[in-house]
Amino acid sequence: MAEAKYDVIVIGSGMTGGWAAKEFAEKGLRTLVLEAGRPTIPEKDYSEHVPPWELSFRGMRDRKTLQHERPIQSLCYACEESNAHFFIKDTEHPYTTDPGKPFRWIRGRQVGGRSILWGRQCYRWSDLDFEANLRDGTAPDWPIRYADLAPWYDYVEDFIGISGEALGLAQLPDSKFLPPMAMNCAELSVQKSMAKYFGPERTLTIGRVAVLTQTHNGRAACHYCGPCHRGCITRSYFSSVNATLPAAEKTGRLTLRPYSTVHSLMFDAKTRRITGVRVIDSQTRATLEFQAPLLFLCASTLESTRILLNSSTTEFSAGLANSSGELGHNLMDHIKGGGATAVIPGYEDKVEFGHRPNIVYMPRFRNVSQKHAGFIRGYGFQGESEREGWGRGALQPAFGADFKRAIIRPGPWQFTFAGYGECLPNHNNFVEIDKSTVDAWGIPSLRIHCAFGENEFAIRKDMSIAGAEMLSAAGGRNIRPFMDDDPPGFSVHEMGTARMGRDPKTSVLNAWNQSHDIPNLFVTDGSAMASSSCVNPSLTYMALTARACDHAVSLLKRGEL
Amino acid sequence: MNRREALKFLAAGAAASALPPQVLAAFREIHANLSQTATLRILNAHQDATLSAAAELLLPATETPGAKAARVNEFIDHILADWYSEEDRKMFLEGLADVDVRTQKLFGKDFVAAGPDQQAEVFRALGEEMALALDAVASAAPGYRGSAPEPGENFYAMFRELTLTGYFTSKIGAKQLHEETIPGRFDGCAPIAPSPQATGS
Repeated sequence: MAEAKYDVIVIGSGMTGGWAAKEFAEKGLRTLVLEAGRPTIPEKDYSEHVPPWELSFRGMRDRKTLQHERPIQSLCYACEESNAHFFIKDTEHPYTTDPGKPFRWIRGRQVGGRSILWGRQCYRWSDLDFEANLRDGTAPDWPIRYADLAPWYDYVEDFIGISGEALGLAQLPDSKFLPPMAMNCAELSVQKSMAKYFGPERTLTIGRVAVLTQTHNGRAACHYCGPCHRGCITRSYFSSVNATLPAAEKTGRLTLRPYSTVHSLMFDAKTRRITGVRVIDSQTRATLEFQAPLLFLCASTLESTRILLNSSTTEFSAGLANSSGELGHNLMDHIKGGGATAVIPGYEDKVEFGHRPNIVYMPRFRNVSQKHAGFIRGYGFQGESEREGWGRGALQPAFGADFKRAIIRPGPWQFTFAGYGECLPNHNNFVEIDKSTVDAWGIPSLRIHCAFGENEFAIRKDMSIAGAEMLSAAGGRNIRPFMDDDPPGFSVHEMGTARMGRDPKTSVLNAWNQSHDIPNLFVTDGSAMASSSCVNPSLTYMALTARACDHAVSLLKRGEL
Repeated sequence: MNRREALKFLAAGAAASALPPQVLAAFREIHANLSQTATLRILNAHQDATLSAAAELLLPATETPGAKAARVNEFIDHILADWYSEEDRKMFLEGLADVDVRTQKLFGKDFVAAGPDQQAEVFRALGEEMALALDAVASAAPGYRGSAPEPGENFYAMFRELTLTGYFTSKIGAKQLHEETIPGRFDGCAPIAPSPQATGS
């Protein structure tokens, strides 16, 4: 059955799909967005203001239900009792991994995707990142440089609103900032110590975050309630539901179709073009087809690649648009698990008022001005300080009136440095279709082969050492370095599997996120990344998407698609 | 101001720090539909009486309400029924029964029948044993992100954790922490609130 025609089909309604929807609709294209999950209704689905005593398990999460329905998703800190519906049910979405090589695949299927759940940290990549593959020869060079993306960072930031502090660092270019959030007493103390002992090389700054500190484009400033991952009824943090999809809607040219699970893409070998999309209605299981002259894949890193792999043809027997053989390969995720925690003495008469939805950040300092002997590339630290709460009373033997009075008061300030490190592109980290494993809609799922390597482990170890060293310089007490074995996927920054590059023989997409093989096919989510940097990637996905949309429309107008 | 009006007000881009009290009140009403049930599913009457007395001994009514007023027993019953594994539930209930065994041994009566000093003596013994269990694991590898290692199977640690959680996540307990659902602003170095005193509820 053929449905009405559109000018463009966007697959996915999250971080990048929302941007594609907004850009195309605003540029006059009749835009169809296909979303596999259900609609998101903020007034019903958001739960950020529900106090603990109104939750059945008071913040302890619904352990048994989660363990049964979402054993992998519930490993993510953000998966709670009141927002578990923003995570897929693992029972409906199986995938396989190699023995001893776990990959934690955290997914959200609803209008808005994971943009409802993200950590909201926004950092521009720099030429330290875009030139990294070229410099150390690990993988083919990026086809773009910072200068190509800078105006698109500006463009995206103007719309979404990012609060932060300008530092003028070459390795971490400044965004167009709204006023920064404040640090707390202990963080300010550590910041001073870092400046004193390490100089400008290790700067502690407030996190750069897509949460509004003032009214912006009709969205209200943050009211500091805290749990952003449960939603935000005032639309103060950026998500596609809160910002880009309403903008697309306003044009009258957006058709957003939820419950549309994409099975595969249709390819015409004669015209060398994508002609349409095969969809399974998630509720009725009916098979549908949609057609448009332009297709944007924004379904998330592994889902977009899975769609291409499931769309094989006689010619593209190893996956559509895969003449390079690199589709599915070079999967990356930031390595974390290394860092240190300590007590920062003092400030006992001070507390935080309000819940700041933000961390503090130390930009990359390894392999910036000096070469590190142990590893290439680098990492940044996310940090946070908070006073210990009543939980510390569980393992103290005291009881009674004095104990109760003492435990109501906050404990010492704890400060934690937690590193996020760059992961090298590696051909041997890859995904393939596992024909023996299908999801609840009968669509073959992925087998994920992924493990960190020597360079990543050396980075994790250094996070632990440097974190402890800095907390020692900051006068920390009871310093506890840690090295946790967080597996790939756990940073939920999965990238790669359809990388950009100049050479069609070694890359899937060109400098405009356009398939080398199929001109009317674009992939603009994290799949496109040719390396991983060490900073949070979503801002870059958004800038790449807006840039690719602009390019695609100019090609369309020139009749070159 | 009803919910719809409150949302409209916020959507219009009102500065959160200037939220009028009626907006905040409307937000608090939105999900306020508590229906606490007093029907216990796991604890029998004696277990409930023992647990309630123990919880009140840990967090007594002072200038602020205690564990009983916060109905910590109902929360723990719910956790035993719907959150704990069968194994943990068994361990907890055996530990609770052991509190009576200890009190019988020392004073010839059940925990609920014992006087305040006698109950305190039982607690001190449980606390010393918990401290020993902690010492035993002190040299073990730390937990995730450098957290302190947990003692192995220890009823008193389980009881304390559940009681503290039940209390401080109740409306009564949360009030002691001066938490605001919608603070409206952030201050990283705010003066600490005065020591606990009667605040009413």
